[in-house]
Amino acid sequence: MAAAAGKVRQDMPPPGGYGPIDYKRHMPRRGLSGYSLFAIGIGTMMFGYYKMIKWNRERRRLAIEDLETRIAMTPLLMAEDDRRILRILRQNFEEEAKIMKDVPGWTVAESCFQTERWVTPTPDELYYLYPQSELDNAKFGCQFYT
Amino acid sequence: MPVTVEVPSLEELEVPQVKVSSAVLKAAAHHYGSQCDKPNKEFMLCRWEEKDPRKCLKEGKEVNKCALEFFRKIKLHCAEPFTQYWTCIDYSSLLELRHCRNQQKVFDDCVLENLGWVRPDLGQLSKVTKVKTDRPLPENPYHSRPKPPPNPPVEGELKPALYGSRLFFWNW
Repeated sequence: MAAAAGKVRQDMPPPGGYGPIDYKRHMPRRGLSGYSLFAIGIGTMMFGYYKMIKWNRERRRLAIEDLETRIAMTPLLMAEDDRRILRILRQNFEEEAKIMKDVPGWTVAESCFQTERWVTPTPDELYYLYPQSELDNAKFGCQFYT
Repeated sequence: MPVTVEVPSLEELEVPQVKVSSAVLKAAAHHYGSQCDKPNKEFMLCRWEEKDPRKCLKEGKEVNKCALEFFRKIKLHCAEPFTQYWTCIDYSSLLELRHCRNQQKVFDDCVLENLGWVRPDLGQLSKVTKVKTDRPLPENPYHSRPKPPPNPPVEGELKPALYGSRLFFWNW
């Protein structure tokens, strides 16, 4: 130990220094560049908007087509509905005349309004002589179909 | 004096009905709208002006007659394509026309060939149209009461109130 103490040798780098340390990542540059990724993303969105706008317009056309079927059929449905209401009303009044014939001072087909104006009768007024199922059908009808 | 509701007799209301289901009506609607345009518009104008279904029974009969005639013609000339078409619409859950374009094409071609009917363009049926009719415009369709006579002119001399407005109470 003492002998070695006189002859100290500093540990030194090799002549010319150490070589560079390889600390950098060496990965191949793969895939698309950022700009192209942006371009693809924006392009996808533009395409999506385009399709969306196209479909919205097409859907509006389809809705108008459906509406036109309704417009075309409305007079027929309305005419038949008017006649149905009047027929039921007429039958009701005839039945009322039969039922109330013994009551003195009874006016058949009396309106509940002081007016000559046409008032569309409610389902309750139309179907009060019918079974409850008829009234339910008139009121709710196809509501329970999904 | 109680008002009684006047209802026409059952014989007057006896009109042959169009007994078809909704899919059939929807399938035929566009051609029907263009073919029976006149009676339909007449009826709707009558309903709009009279506000009373009892006064539009004649027009309603015309509507039904035209519709029955229309469906008879289709049945005579294009029964097969029409049945295909409305069956397809019936099978579509919401009766959507867009699922049945192929059958619609066949039906339209058949109708154009045999009856000369052209399918109306989109927006043709929903146009606002003027209708020429012989029915006079109804007087007072709402049965309104006559207007009261105007106030008689004031006689005597009108002077301002002696103690000011009675509405003004903020004076002590």
